[in-house]
Amino acid sequence: MKKFIKWIASGWMLILFFIGFFLFWEYSIPLFDIPRYILPSPSEIVLKGSADLDKLIYYTGVTALETVLGYIIALILGVGFGIAISFSSILRRTLYPFFVSIEMTPKIAFAPLFISWFGFGLMPKVIIVVLVCFFPIVLNAILAFNSLSNELTLFYQSTGASRLKTFFSIRLPAALPQCFVGFKYAAINATVGATIAEFIGSDKGLGFYISIVTGNMRPDLAFAGIFFLTVLGLTIFGFVTMMEKILIPWHISMKRINK
Amino acid sequence: MKNFIEVTELKKVFGNGEDEVHAFGPATININAGEFVSVLGPSGCGKSTLMLMVAGLLDSTSGKVEFENKLVNGPKTDIGIMFQDNTLVPWRTVKGNIELQLELRGLNLKDYQEQINNILKSVNLDDFADRFPNELSGGMQQRAAFCQAMIHDPKIILLDEPLGKLDAMTREKIRADFQKLWMVKKPTVIFVTHSIEEAVQLSNRVILITPRPGKIDREIKIDLPYPRDLKVKRSPKFAEYVNSIQEVFHKYGVI
Ligand SMILES: Nc1ncnc2c1ncn2[C@@H]1O[C@H](COP(=O)(O)OP(=O)(O)OP(=O)(O)O)[C@@H](O)[C@H]1O
Ligand SMILES: [Mg+2]
Repeated sequence: MKKFIKWIASGWMLILFFIGFFLFWEYSIPLFDIPRYILPSPSEIVLKGSADLDKLIYYTGVTALETVLGYIIALILGVGFGIAISFSSILRRTLYPFFVSIEMTPKIAFAPLFISWFGFGLMPKVIIVVLVCFFPIVLNAILAFNSLSNELTLFYQSTGASRLKTFFSIRLPAALPQCFVGFKYAAINATVGATIAEFIGSDKGLGFYISIVTGNMRPDLAFAGIFFLTVLGLTIFGFVTMMEKILIPWHISMKRINK
Repeated sequence: MKNFIEVTELKKVFGNGEDEVHAFGPATININAGEFVSVLGPSGCGKSTLMLMVAGLLDSTSGKVEFENKLVNGPKTDIGIMFQDNTLVPWRTVKGNIELQLELRGLNLKDYQEQINNILKSVNLDDFADRFPNELSGGMQQRAAFCQAMIHDPKIILLDEPLGKLDAMTREKIRADFQKLWMVKKPTVIFVTHSIEEAVQLSNRVILITPRPGKIDREIKIDLPYPRDLKVKRSPKFAEYVNSIQEVFHKYGVI
């Protein structure tokens, strides 16, 4: 009960903070005489943005498709490679160090190359999202599948269970919490990848929209685009967090008790 | 006649070069079928190491382990083993964890529902069957792990300090229950413990291990009638056994 009140209190504080933030933004513009082509006020962003709503919604869909498609492909590839590397000593000595070294290079730097190779369409954006999301997923999956406690390993060995049964009964559930660390990190990066890919070369999508309207000296519309991008990112992240709660409720409750 | 379990010149050295740790042995131990043998020794003397090698879960550096003349050269699966750290998984309830043992062994869960209820009742956990391990105290987790190790009714039982985290009273009760179970089913038991009293109360024979690297100091046959209830525990003979073991460890400066 105490915790609940605390939670409400902290929640209200956050809401108040946001209200204060936007009020400050709204009224500091006339106060400091900031020209609207530099920084528009929140009310103007809402007003001008809603005039362009159809386009914004359509472009959100475009960017969402690139992001979600890339994310799902990265998820499948990342977990697949993660499991393969965890269970094969050859791959662990070859692919694993290779992935770790690639992880060091900023993947987004490949974006212009992909655009020049594959054109303006959907595919290069999806590839860039995959590239950005794949590494956190695969590296966390490797960590996850390699960190089974010694006792549990000995325990299943003493039962004589098959590798397949052990995998689904012990290894997979034990690995999920660490896997989700990667999934969540990738979910945050996914929209970043898609947006930058659209900046570089595209004819639709929120990244394209933002770069065009900024060029036309319309920061109000750019902010509207950023707002939709934020909503998209939050939705994807929220979905992954929800999946975590559904798939590993025991892990969430464990964290709560440890607090 | 050969013994049921024969441990011959078994030795374990971990690591190599400068990191080398001579953990156990060489030691020779023979155990009869149906015998209850306790292994008693100071911390770090290699008791857990010995147990893992007997179970075929850890390779020895030299020497061998045989069950009924058959050399152990991989994990033995026809045993019940309880490790020093519990093997409860956080994503399953107490009951689910017990069932995990059965599932991994490919046994039919339906056939065991009654046994699960009974064993949970015997350790006073029947009200906690549907709780998750992180909702239990350390002692309760240990009791749940005990049920998990015993549910498939193994004929060979290896326990590594199974009652270490329990309060004195619960410990007393589970000891008595376990003794009853042993008297009825006569499994072969290797019981690692820190408690001299516990070893004397439960065992046919107590094996005293020296400080690391553990070797066998001596074996003491406990000639007391079963069941060893409170009356036996208060007898002068019981106290004599406890005293003589205490003296051995006193000699090593362990107590
Ligand atoms: N995997 C390992 N690698 C290296 N050294 C180890 C390993 N396992 C155990 N040892 C060492 O072997 C020795 C014996 O360890 P073991 O766990 O068998 O002792 P123990 O008698 O069970 O002690 P306790 O009563 O505290 O449980 C210790 O010195 C320990 O440091
Ligand atoms: Mg030990």
